[in-house]
Amino acid sequence: MAGVGTESRSRTARGPAHAPDAAVISARNVTVGYKLHRERKQLTALRDISLDVRKGEFVVLVGPSGCGKTTFINSVAGLVEPWEGTILVNGRPIDGPGPDRAMVFQDYALMPWRTVESNVRMPFEFQNLGLSREEMDERVRRYIDLVDLTGFEKSYPYELSGGMKQRVGIARALVSEPDILLADEPFAAIDAMTREAMQSELERFVAKTGQTVVFITHSIDEAVILGDRIVVISYRPGQIKEVVDVNLPRPRFDYDVKTLPEYVELRDHIWRLVKDEALQSARGAD
Amino acid sequence: MTTLDESESATTTDPGRIQDTEWTTGEWWGRWGSWVVTLVNLSMFFAIWEVFARSGAINQLFLPTASGMFEALYHGLTTSAPPGAVISGSIRDHLFYSLSNLSVGLIIACVIGIPAGLLMGGNRYVETVLSPYVWALASLPRIALVPLFILFLGFTVKMQITIIVLSAVFPIVINSWAGVKTTEKSLLAAAKVFGANRRQLYMRVVLPYTLPFIISGIQQGIGRGLIGVIIAEIFGGSYGLGYLVQRSADTFNSSLMYAVLFLLVVVSLTLIQFTRWLEAYVAPWRRIDRL
Repeated sequence: MAGVGTESRSRTARGPAHAPDAAVISARNVTVGYKLHRERKQLTALRDISLDVRKGEFVVLVGPSGCGKTTFINSVAGLVEPWEGTILVNGRPIDGPGPDRAMVFQDYALMPWRTVESNVRMPFEFQNLGLSREEMDERVRRYIDLVDLTGFEKSYPYELSGGMKQRVGIARALVSEPDILLADEPFAAIDAMTREAMQSELERFVAKTGQTVVFITHSIDEAVILGDRIVVISYRPGQIKEVVDVNLPRPRFDYDVKTLPEYVELRDHIWRLVKDEALQSARGAD
Repeated sequence: MTTLDESESATTTDPGRIQDTEWTTGEWWGRWGSWVVTLVNLSMFFAIWEVFARSGAINQLFLPTASGMFEALYHGLTTSAPPGAVISGSIRDHLFYSLSNLSVGLIIACVIGIPAGLLMGGNRYVETVLSPYVWALASLPRIALVPLFILFLGFTVKMQITIIVLSAVFPIVINSWAGVKTTEKSLLAAAKVFGANRRQLYMRVVLPYTLPFIISGIQQGIGRGLIGVIIAEIFGGSYGLGYLVQRSADTFNSSLMYAVLFLLVVVSLTLIQFTRWLEAYVAPWRRIDRL
């Protein structure tokens, strides 16, 4: 189990030499949106976003629905190209998706015709990481074990509960040992109790693997429980409203941080920041 | 860690957690009741038919007895025409003829329809160019084309197979096309994030996603193809089940005609059930959505 962390630390997929404290992700004045073909309009989702994410940091983007959080994470993943500005990953401009980044999806996005094991193995099929067959088998086994799904290797996603499905999604994202883990509201579709458990599990996984995480949520509690830093984004077009540092002890579930006065203060502070935005979003104003 | 969720409680199995239980009568009925009802239901249907037909309320030239029908069916399936006979009264010979034509027609329909549908789903230009023809021909009642193909090809097997192909191909094209078009965006995004190139997206995501659609297209194609077989044989043939229906009606052999109709129901249900099993086998995750 301890081997997970040490190995991923030493791995560099294609990044050049850089100082240990340098930003893993460095976004500069990023403006990005999408076209609404039918209405002959283009919609700016994010305007002028500049953000540095340090190595091993857990950054949470929080904001109302429709504020462009997903667009940002998709640009980092290489699925969407920014209209203006640049995003550097390990000092290099993004050119499509790459093995240094992996993603966990809100609706799990597991291939329903593949078993748990086969879903976790998928990244190895599409990208050559220069691993031997034995190494790949071993990694698949190790990450299925990490997410506590040993014994379910031959199950199909439709046979699993929501929480278990997302564990598969997490194992699939971690198996290639990427530098950066992107998570787009991964627990939004999971019931409240399992969700709390999954938050603590994710904290445990990344503590072991040492990944840099960019995590999207619209739950303030989730943001405070998980984040080292919380980036509050405003409603349409999304702009950074404030970046909040979270200095609560980890692992946060063991310390039961929800009972600490600092937690309550932070939560309240962020709620004040997003309250008006949330109301605006709820009304569907543009 | 003090956290638990359902997955972990499932992995740490308590040996006493799963125990054998006896079924109550209610549970037994819940499982097998519908079979019993169906059995009784169908027996009653044929019994009432038998009594009704024997009562003489309807001329037996139009409505034979159920037993007469089953007798004709048994006789027709167990005998074959004597060698050298031009026209056979045996159901078996005509059944083989119709089924082999149907199989050939369906295979041709798949060979044309599946690639055409996949291409239409995958390429916007192919889609734009082909879709008016597909919709036009798919919405045209195929029976209207029979005289045309009789003109072109005469009363031949070629004509019959052409009609079967035309009947079966469009559901296959349209379903394959729809499968590609409705491939879940998040699955495509996931495959892209994990490094899939264009070819891999098609082969490893779009195609497996579309497979159950193709199978339900074939399922509809079988139903349509069977209609095509019968139409082609009634209008322009001297062989096959359609011909036999026509001929037995002409000769007032109502037992034989009803026997053929009954057989058509059985054949059609068997083929469609087979494709359902096939679909459940290749796409078990869709089983829940189905009736």
